[in-house]
Amino acid sequence: MSLALPSEVGGAVRRGLSPRTVIAALVLAAIIALALAAPLITPFDPLDQDLLALNQPPGAEHWLGTDHMGRDVFSRLVMGARTTLVVGFGGALVAFILGAGLGLVALSFGRAAETAMFALIDLVRAMPDVLLALLLIVALGAGAQPVMIALGIAFAPFFAYVARATFHREAVKDYVTAARLFGGGRLHVLRLHIAPNLVGGLITQAAILLPRCVVTESVLSFLGLGSSPDQPTWGRMVADASHYIETSPHAILAPVLAIVALTLSLSMIGDAVRRRLDPLRAADEAAL
Amino acid sequence: MKTVLHRLSPFAIALARMLVQATGIVVVVFLLARLVPGDAVDVKGLEGDLTAAQQVALRHELGLDRSVPEQLVAWSWRALKGDFGDSIRFGRPVSGMLGTALPTTLLFAALSFALGLGLALALAVGAVTTGNRVLRELVNLFSVWSIALPTFCVGVIGILVFSVWLGWLPVLGSMNLPVIIIGIDSAGVIVKPLHEELREAATSAHVRTARAKGLAPWRIALRHLLPTAVPVMLALSGLVLTSLVAGTLTMEVLFGLPGVGSLLLNAIHGRDYPVIQAAILVIAVALVVINAATDLLHRLIDPRMTS
Repeated sequence: MSLALPSEVGGAVRRGLSPRTVIAALVLAAIIALALAAPLITPFDPLDQDLLALNQPPGAEHWLGTDHMGRDVFSRLVMGARTTLVVGFGGALVAFILGAGLGLVALSFGRAAETAMFALIDLVRAMPDVLLALLLIVALGAGAQPVMIALGIAFAPFFAYVARATFHREAVKDYVTAARLFGGGRLHVLRLHIAPNLVGGLITQAAILLPRCVVTESVLSFLGLGSSPDQPTWGRMVADASHYIETSPHAILAPVLAIVALTLSLSMIGDAVRRRLDPLRAADEAAL
Repeated sequence: MKTVLHRLSPFAIALARMLVQATGIVVVVFLLARLVPGDAVDVKGLEGDLTAAQQVALRHELGLDRSVPEQLVAWSWRALKGDFGDSIRFGRPVSGMLGTALPTTLLFAALSFALGLGLALALAVGAVTTGNRVLRELVNLFSVWSIALPTFCVGVIGILVFSVWLGWLPVLGSMNLPVIIIGIDSAGVIVKPLHEELREAATSAHVRTARAKGLAPWRIALRHLLPTAVPVMLALSGLVLTSLVAGTLTMEVLFGLPGVGSLLLNAIHGRDYPVIQAAILVIAVALVVINAATDLLHRLIDPRMTS
């Protein structure tokens, strides 16, 4: 592949934001804004039970109705956005730091350290992420923090692989050889010459993994392993309402649609980020 | 002799890798379960009133007073023979509980896996041979579906539409809907890379020649594209298995299927550690074995892998 992009394809890649991406960004911004403003806009305490108003359909007093314990669905949805966002994004952040950090440390120490570290990472990858997260939560106990750590450990290998692949791709290039010939040490070359090239790949990976982290968080809390029961999360709301699906579908539809809106917009933004930061690959796809 | 060895060595490597991975999983599962504060005797002690002397005796009987490596070896040796101990909550052998739950999960997973691979293959080959816009959009749609839609959300909407509003299916216990949901989800995991790979294969000389000879599109698809598609699909099937685990867990819980997933979650909520350990171990090791098997199959049918 030639290094220079054909001008018309380059133009197509840099055409700016597609309407889809803009809508996705607006949806995400709205969810984040609701989560930030949660205590100000919730009409009820999300834990308050109104036992005289169980399974109420949406109406003037309860905008999205009430659930099987008489709790206001809208208030729970808005407060739940906080937990879902914090744990999902936090998990991705832990994965980023852990994966990129361990990968780079191993790479900077040379062949033996690299082989050992990646053998360990391969071992972690041999288990599917949900199963590993589940096992870690059993070991660490339920709660927001353990779930974040579990997500971080389960998704960290992806970042380590990206770091290694980019490292080896760059390490054979002429500018690295030149830097070494000028007497640059291993660490110096890594920090000054290779690290800047790692950033794009790692951010792309983060953008791709973010929706998966959020999905896994919602799966875990749906299975009852997320944060503690007094913290509403969307996954837990779905699980709670699933027993009353026939009588009060609104209580389950609200969190389901919220999860879908969040993960869909995240994956569209991830796609846009990938196209922007990985123009060669995107041009490849556009040409085919 | 040398050629036989040459052909066999990748198998030996695949087998060795499988054994190492399986051993690693056994160690990880055992050690993580040991991180849990309190042991089986503490759990029992909380329920009944065991005296301190009884607790010590029970710990000795269960081997909990020995060193961790010793316990690991003893536990793995018994697990290898299919003895996972007794459930703390039900007092029954864990192996028996797994035995009753496994057929449901295996049937469910096999059906979803087959549906997923079949769908992905049909869609990718169809899109490449016909160049149909609708099929190409379907490839993208399936791929976005599997990335962005958690299967349990799709399951909830499916129950609402097909069971509650249309009344076509029972809410609980039916396997039709979950198999379709997980099948589409699995197809979405691999359909895009498969499609990309096939598009590249479709530009190769032998397909161009077939087209120039005037062969019918379905014949090109079956005789000239499918042979390249199957090995690629086998290489990608590991990804499907990973997503299948999450899907099976949530679908079993949501649709009330009495499989290993339901068993595992009930055990987690009841802190039934022997059952948790055994269920996770069985799922993880089964995955390693299936992955090794598809890897071997891939090497067998694709001569490029051994040369």
